[in-house]
This record gives sequence, C-alpha cells and structure tokens, in this order.
Amino acid sequence: MKVVVVGAGMVGHRFADELGRLAPHVDVDVLGDESYEPYNRVMLTELVAGRIDLAGLSLPTPDSGRVRVRAGATALEIDRTRRTVVTADGDFDYDVLVLATGARARVIDVPGLGGTLPRGAHVVRRVDDARDITAATLNASTAVVIGAGPLGVEAACALRHRGVAVTLVAPTGLLARDLDAVVASVARDQATSLGIDVVTGTGVASVGVRDGRVDGVHLDDGRTLATGLVVLACGSVPDTTLAAAAGLETNLGVVVGDDLRCTVDPAVFAIGDCAETPAGVSGLVAPGWAQARALARSLARDEPVELPTIAGSAMRLKAVGMSVVTMGVRSSTALPTDRVVSLADHGARRHVELVARGDTLVGVTCVGSPELAAHLSTQLDRPGMLPADPMQLLMGASGPGAVESASPTTMPAATTVCRCNGVTKGDLVHAWDAGCTTVEALAGSTLATTGCGGCTKLVCGIVDWLQATDPAPSSQTTSGVRETNVPTR
Amino acid sequence: MTDTHCPYCALQCAQTITPGGDDDAVAGQVVVEPRAFPTNAGGMCQKGWTSAELLRVPDRITTPLRRVPSTGSGSGGSSGSGGGFEEVSWDVALDDIAARVRAIGEQDGADAVAVFGGGGLTNEKAYQLGKFARLALRTRNIDYNGRFCMSSAAAAANRSLGVDRGLPFPLTDLADADAVVLFGSNLADTMPPAVQHLGGARERGGLVVIDPRRSATARLTDEGAGEHLQLVPGTDLVLALGLLHVVLAEGLADADYLAARVDGLDDVRRSVAEWWPERVAATTGVPETQLRRIARMLSAASPHRGGRGAFLLTGRGSEQHADGTDTVTAVINLALALGLVGAERGGYGAITGQGNGQGGREHGQKADQLPGYRMITDPAAREHVAAVWGVDPGTIPGPGVPAVELLTSLGQPGGPRALFVHGSNVLVSSPDAQVVRRRLEALDLLVVCDFVPSETALLADYILPVTQWAEEEGTMTGLEGRVLRRRRAVEPPAGVRSELEVFAELAARLDAPGTWSVEPREVYDELRRASAGGRADYAGISYDRLDAGEALYWPCPDEQHPGTPRLFADTFPTPSGRARMVAVRAVGPDEPLRAEAPVWLVTGRVLQHYQSGAQTRRVAKLNDSAPRAHVEINPVLAARIGLEGIDDVRITSKRGSIVAQARISADIRPDTVFVPFHFADEGMVNAVTNAATDPVSGMPEFKVCAVQIRREDA
Repeated sequence: MKVVVVGAGMVGHRFADELGRLAPHVDVDVLGDESYEPYNRVMLTELVAGRIDLAGLSLPTPDSGRVRVRAGATALEIDRTRRTVVTADGDFDYDVLVLATGARARVIDVPGLGGTLPRGAHVVRRVDDARDITAATLNASTAVVIGAGPLGVEAACALRHRGVAVTLVAPTGLLARDLDAVVASVARDQATSLGIDVVTGTGVASVGVRDGRVDGVHLDDGRTLATGLVVLACGSVPDTTLAAAAGLETNLGVVVGDDLRCTVDPAVFAIGDCAETPAGVSGLVAPGWAQARALARSLARDEPVELPTIAGSAMRLKAVGMSVVTMGVRSSTALPTDRVVSLADHGARRHVELVARGDTLVGVTCVGSPELAAHLSTQLDRPGMLPADPMQLLMGASGPGAVESASPTTMPAATTVCRCNGVTKGDLVHAWDAGCTTVEALAGSTLATTGCGGCTKLVCGIVDWLQATDPAPSSQTTSGVRETNVPTR
Repeated sequence: MTDTHCPYCALQCAQTITPGGDDDAVAGQVVVEPRAFPTNAGGMCQKGWTSAELLRVPDRITTPLRRVPSTGSGSGGSSGSGGGFEEVSWDVALDDIAARVRAIGEQDGADAVAVFGGGGLTNEKAYQLGKFARLALRTRNIDYNGRFCMSSAAAAANRSLGVDRGLPFPLTDLADADAVVLFGSNLADTMPPAVQHLGGARERGGLVVIDPRRSATARLTDEGAGEHLQLVPGTDLVLALGLLHVVLAEGLADADYLAARVDGLDDVRRSVAEWWPERVAATTGVPETQLRRIARMLSAASPHRGGRGAFLLTGRGSEQHADGTDTVTAVINLALALGLVGAERGGYGAITGQGNGQGGREHGQKADQLPGYRMITDPAAREHVAAVWGVDPGTIPGPGVPAVELLTSLGQPGGPRALFVHGSNVLVSSPDAQVVRRRLEALDLLVVCDFVPSETALLADYILPVTQWAEEEGTMTGLEGRVLRRRRAVEPPAGVRSELEVFAELAARLDAPGTWSVEPREVYDELRRASAGGRADYAGISYDRLDAGEALYWPCPDEQHPGTPRLFADTFPTPSGRARMVAVRAVGPDEPLRAEAPVWLVTGRVLQHYQSGAQTRRVAKLNDSAPRAHVEINPVLAARIGLEGIDDVRITSKRGSIVAQARISADIRPDTVFVPFHFADEGMVNAVTNAATDPVSGMPEFKVCAVQIRREDA
C-alpha cells in the first residue's frame, strides 16, 4: 500500500511515524513544504524565548525505512482520478492520501497588512517566523504583539524575556477565549508584573508602514504605539486550499466523518488542524495526535477508526514567567448541577478553580500555581477519584504536610526513633531506666543508632533530656516524673 | 569468631558471628554483630541484627520430604497441596527424582525438565546450577528470580554501556557528590545502612527521590536536604525524558563529553523534543517548575560545570514496568548527556536488590547466558565454556525463555513437566501468582531445595533440605560488583546437604559429563576459569586474595590485576568503545485505569522483611513488627470508600484479589495504593499484580496495575 501524507507538521509526522511502526509493509511519503525536517511547532515561542535551540525542535526520524520525509516538497495539486500528488520534483502516487496541511496564521484585515506582510511584521507559525522574530529583537527595543490568545501571550513573554519592551494588544482581553473574566484578570496581572504592557478594550485600526517597513500600530482609540516589530497572533485558519482545488468538500476545514475520511473520496483522509470532523476543527496538537494515532492504527490493522474522546479543551501556557493551565469545564461552561470550587489569592496573582461533576473532576483552571496544576491535571476525568468534598483537592495540596515533632521532649513515647531497628522513644526510656545512661549503652541495649546512624543526633537529644529530667536514674523514679506518656511499670 | 556478610540484601553488610557466651539467652547459639566495611560503615538493620534467628527457626527442614499423595486427588499433575509429606532418605529421594527426570526426558525430551534459580544463591551455587541444567538435565529451560528484579536495568546497561554491573563505582563515591537522584528506590527501607552514603548530597540539598509515595527515603529530602518528586505511577519514563528535554533545551549538557564518548545523541534529542515540560507535568504530575529546577541542579552538580558530581540511580520502582528497559535507558541517556558515566565524579547505577543479585546474573542462571556474562548464542562463548566443562560445545543447549514465559508454560502442552527450584519462593514472588500456583500444580514433578517449608516448597513433590548462609562457604557479589566471602560459622544440622552436593549426586545418577565438585573453593576456581575473558571476568579473584582482605571488583582478569572499582573511565566495552544513547518512547502502563479499576496499585518493601518473607516471617521480632500485609491509602481515598480506621480492605484486579489492613497516610498519592509484597495467603499482593512483561528484558510489570479497592465488610 502506498500512502502519501501532505504536510510534515506535528500531526503528519506523528501519523507517518506510527504507521511506519505498525505497518512495516506500507510505503509512506510525507511531503513538507518547509525546508526543515519535521519539528515541534508547539515550541516555537520557546525558540523565541531562547529556552531551546533549533536542534531541540526536530522530531524523531521515523523508524521504518519505508517512511520517507521529503522536506521542501510542496504539493501543488492533487489529481484524484490518477491518485497522485503533483510536486515540482515529480508525482507521488497513492492508494491512500492523508491531508495534514495544518493551518495558516490569520492576518487581520487592517490597513498596512494587506497582501505581503511589511518588513517588521511577523506571524508565529513556522521556524522561519520564529527565527525572523528572534533576529529582529537584536535591533528592536520595543515590540507590539497583536492578539492575546495563548500564542500571543507566549510570544509576548518570550520577547520580554529577551529584554524587549512589549505591548500586548488584547482587544477582548488576555486569554479571553480560554479563561473566564475574573481569572483572565489574574493572568493579566501576571503579564503586567513581568513588565508587559497589556492594552485591552481597543482593537487595531491600522499598522503604520513606511518604506515597506512597520513603524507603528494605530489603535482604534486613537493611540499609536511606535515600534519596528509587530507580531501577529490572531489565530489560525485551516489550510484547505489544496483540498478545495481538488474538489473535496471544505467548510471551515476539510470536511471528514468520524472515520476521518473525506466525504466525497474514500481514498482521502484529513487529520489535524486542517480537518473538520463532526466535532469541528480543533487547532490543538493533542487532538491532532490522537487522530494521527487512530488513523494509523486503523490503516495498519484494517480496523475502524476509534477516536478517543477528548473532553473539553486543554491549554497549558508555555510562557517564561507565567503559569496558566486550563483543562475541561470552567465556571462559565459548568452545568447548574456542577460544583465549582475556587480559591482566589489575587494579591499573589494566583487563582485556582475546579469543577466537580458527580464523582469526577471535569475542570481545572490554575493561574500562578504550577504545582497544583500538575497534580490536578493528573486527576481530571478520572471517575471515582474525587474526594467526597472537592474542596479537599485544594486544601493541604501545597506546601509540606504536617511535620512530626522532632523534639525529644515532646515527641510521644511510641514515636520511632531508630527506623532501622524499630526502636521507639519509649524503648530508649526503658533502657535508660534499666541503667543504660549513655548513647553507647543505649545503642548496645536497644540497637538504636546501629543501622544507618541517622538517629544518632536524636538519641543524643533524648539522652540530654533524660539527664536533665532524671539525672540519677534509679528504679523508683520514672512514674509521673516526665511529661510524656511513657508506660509506667 | 567468623567474618561473613548478612544473609539478606545486596548491600551485604559485613558481620561477625561469634558463639554465644554465658548469657542464658544465647548460650550454645551464636551472636551476630556488624563490623566495619565500606558499604555498611559498621551499621546493620533490624534484619541483620536478628539474622541469627534464621539458624534456629522451629520449622527447619533437616530430612528430605516426599509428598504423600492424597487419595482421590484430581486429574492432571501430581504436584499440589493435597496430602502431606513423609520423611525419606536422601538416597531414596535422589534415586526417585533422577528416575523421574529420566523418564520425563525420554518421553518428552530434555526441555521437559526446567530449573528456576535465585539471586540469593552464592556464586558457586548459581554457577553450578547453570551447569547442572545444561549438562546434567540437558535442558535449555533455566531462568531465575533475578528476572523479576534486575533484568531491565541489566538489559539497558548492556545496550547502552556494553556491560551490566549494578554500580560501576564503589558505593562510597556517593558521599562526595553534590546530587544523588533515586529513580524509584526506597533505600531507607530496603538497605537502611546505605542511607549513610546519601549524607553528603543531603547536606548540599542535592538528594532527589522519585516515588509515588513519600517513602522513608523520600522523607530524607525534607528540611532542605533535597526534593521529592511524587509522580503518577508508571510515568518514570516520561519524567526522565522531560529532564533530558530541559538539559538539552537549556544547553545544560556536557557537549565535549558527548562529542568524545557518545553515539546516538541526535536520535535522542529528537525523541525528547516531544516532551516539553508542560506536557511532562500533565502526564507525571511533576510541575514544570520542579522539573526545570532539578535539571539545572543536576547540571550544576556535574563535573563539566565544576560540580562535585551527580549520581543517577535506578531501583525497582522505575524498572519493574513493561517499559522498564526503556526507562532505565532514558536515565542512562540523561547521565550521558550530563557527562557523568565514567566521570571521576558521578555516574549511573542500578541498585541491586537480592543478596547475590549481581553475581547471580553473571554465572549462567539466565536463560540466555553462560558464565562470565557470556551470551549462550555466541559460538566463541560456548566453545570457551565447553572447554572448561570438558564437553563438546554442541552439548550445551541453546537459549531458553525468560521467567514469566517459563512459569506460564509449566505443565502446558509442550511445556516443562518437571521443575527444580533453588533459592526462590516463586509462588509468592511471581506476578499473577494464582496462575503460577496452577502451573506449579500441573507439574508431574516439583523439586524444591530450601531450608524452610516455603509456600512454594509446600507444593513440591520433594523438598530437599539444604544449607543456609552461616552454614556454608562461598562468595557473593555485592551491589558494587565487589566479590565478598561468605564463611561458615556454624555446622549445618545433621541431615542437611549443600546444593553443591545435590547437584553432584543427581549429576552422577543422570550420567552427566564433567566434574561435580562439592567443595565451594573448587567450584569457584572452575567458575573463575569459565568466566575468564568474559564481561564479568573473575579469573584473578581468588579465595586467597579475598581472605587476605583485598577489595576486588570484577573484571579482574588475572591474579596480579587490582580489579576494577570504577568502570568506563577511558572507554566503554562496546564495539565502538563509545557509549550508545538509545532513543526510546513512552508507552505507559500495560493496564490502563478503567471505571471498574480506577486506582493504581504499587508494590514494595517494608524494612522488616526480605523478598517473599520466607525467612523474615520466621523471625519473631521482625514478624511481630510487621505480621501481615497492609494497604497504604490516602485519607481522601479512604474517606471515599468509607474507611474509618484500620479496617480491612479488599483490593481486586482482573487477576485476583487480596485482603489487607488499611493504613491511612497522606504519604501516598490519592490515586494510588501501596502494598508490600512479602506476604502469602490472603495478603499475597502478587495475586493481583500484572504479568505483562518488558519486550526486551522479560521483566514483569510488578510496579503498576489497575485495581478496585473496597472495605472488606462492605
């Protein structure tokens, strides 16, 4: 079987990699229009931030020798009659065609941005975009990021991390699509505290361009932000050009069924950002990877496609200096019967919210609390694991737990002093009463300190305490003398 | 007064055994005391202090026992719990065993007789057992319980570094390091005196413990001594990938070392590109902030950044998984990226569990190996060993199958009909134990050598009483690859024989070729010759040198050689001389959680017991402290299932169920329960565990499976 994948992004790559391992008899050609090997697009803002280098983005080379990734092979046309994909370097025949063409960055329709982008204006979609932005920061002391979704916020933080003065234009608010207003305001405070100037409530009227180069951003409210560097993070649009030209049904994306198959041609599938399933278009990598895996399994084993259900959306910001995680249901999308529990600590720019439905945690939103976010995200959608009182998930979940009393005076007699030999404080006191009044003698009698020696300090402390309370041990003195509950004879 | 080592774990604490004095309690008996030695530094845990009790357990077997068939027993094999035992003479037992082995072999071929060994056997016995299987029984079917503990670490180390020596450096090296990371090890319970070596790292805040439980070892990170990463069970591999991601992404790796000594970086770099910290956090539950912090701390501790060294150590918690080999590989990749392996300061190591877990895996008990860590499929290895044994290479059978596969084939069509068990309580220590019980019961002949009636022995057709620890001479190889002398301090009870005698007697009755000495020193000298030139080369390590007090670590190719305390200083024993980074991918636990089984079960140890508990459960002080299995359960989960205190709970998986007492503790994750594995009967947690195995090593996934938990009376 010959499989051609159009698009060598994260989803196309994952599909080819999985198929190559599951079905070694299959020939797979992956056509990518960039000149790079498949790379991790999710990390592009990390590249801008300088927290990773280019080599760190490259994705694994598919194991199977029958999977060929062709970088720089732009698909020009799909000939569905001949079952071939046309490129400048030749035709690629297929039995099965998988479209993983992804999405394009959306460019807002304002004066200054029509046609080709002016110099100094960048989207953040490809490695070249990220490299261009990084290069621009060498000269630019200011930047304007337009769009305050996750990508825009990450880009703003990355630029700020590079020392650039950043203005983030967020017409509808920061992370407004992912967070409810009260939570978004906390995230905004976080961004502000990093030195990012967040502008809300006004849109972009136009982008100023002089001599083909950006010189500022003009806002709807009349203000002008002078800058030579503009980053556009205004969302993305599924790339359906090729599919539409080939006569496949397209709407927002390439229309496919639950089996990821195109409506008009059973030999063609679409996955990832370009696909529009009955559930819609996703634009996130996790559902795309799930589709890739499901389709690879289905083709390799000749079984129906089984897509895992991914409840709600998930967003984990990768931004230097900010921590925002939201998964599943949130307050504004909760059912009236859900329980919404939140903990607000806005002074510390922290907000945690969780949504319980029956005995399941169905939503988690954490701003400024990466520890809790990590823990709660492992508990999401696990039926039967919710505490009877969902509040318990937030209580005692941060910071160390109760510390046992390590004072020789106040610790209870039953406290184990020497773990290695199972010796309690009470055992030591009894040995003392029997005449073992030095650390050495106590060790000989009880074996305390003779394992790892970790309790030596504590045993010394107990000896000091015993000496203070009972300087001349004799067989009559113990009862009622000490304030602990040592059993009496 | 006799100098020897503790009968239990791989730390092999040095002991002195002296005859009892005037004190009534010990008169006529022996007293065991610790002695100064690098690994235990004069310390000894409760197990060691009470070890003399093993010499006087009330149910010691001193006469061969033969099963008396119960009348009207069911069809199938003759083994099983029906009927009782009768005492028989050694000759009667050995004659009958040999005759039955012969008959089975004539009917179904030599592979119809199988052998299951143990990592507690001395090197001499382990070596002779492998030889016994190949030459006397002529079977390829031999494997051992080390498959359950060290096989994944061994496979990974062999693959990446060219050799498997648990710690390729002395344990005492840890003391100087800035950082020590324990991937799934609970040293403080398994080998308490070893905790002393963590002191230096703790002082510098560099102890990192990775465990779903806040174990006794995890508590050692308290008060600024380090960090505990309380990950989701079964996500160790993802965590290691995430750490390496940060090391590579943030430019924290030792580029010079990688260029000079390591192959495969590019593939590995790509494999971790998919595991960015936020994604790792969502999978493991370890926050990205902590992940980055640990990666940076490890880099700062590494020699290339001027640190005092970092050690990455794996234990069974990270290894006993269906992807255990890949998990260890990911840890080795991390150690290589930091330039630690073979560095003067730092390294990767696996903390061996069983007393002779290291030596036990080097001398031919493994299905695919011959002495000296030679591969049985290697013609040159076969030729060398055959020459030592005085046989034609063609008489040595080919490779057998790993433990789980071997056990599940017992009594099945085409599978073995007879089994010899040495140094293992396989019924309690195998995963999916109910299946193992049925397989053992389906055998026509089960012969168990032991000194107590273990749960496995009670299923046998013959129990042969053998010597133990302080009654025998031999060598053990500790967790560092240092060879240690075990010495006889007391006479064995009358009627008890050493396994070397059992092998010799049976070999004679089976007309086996070769020589079958019953003297440990002679067997060991043969082992030295057999291992010469192999990866684990003992040729230069003699009893005389050991008795003179030399510290000898293998490889030691001749008697003038000083031994090799530290491996990899200049080169790796791989074909290229370079270490190999191997790209691995995270698959996750074999058994996912589901509505009927929403909780992870992890297993492990308590301080008082060792392995299946066959020995420690017979020591009153230990058994009184920990008499039965317990379930460590988070208060949140306890409240959910209506626990009020120390109620009994029932834990059920697809495979079976157990009942144990709840111990409510915030030290464990709310989605996980912990049960120790030392107990039999209703608390035998291996009735619940998953027998799915690692595709490379054959290691079962003891450490994580999906269970349901209920109050027993509910």
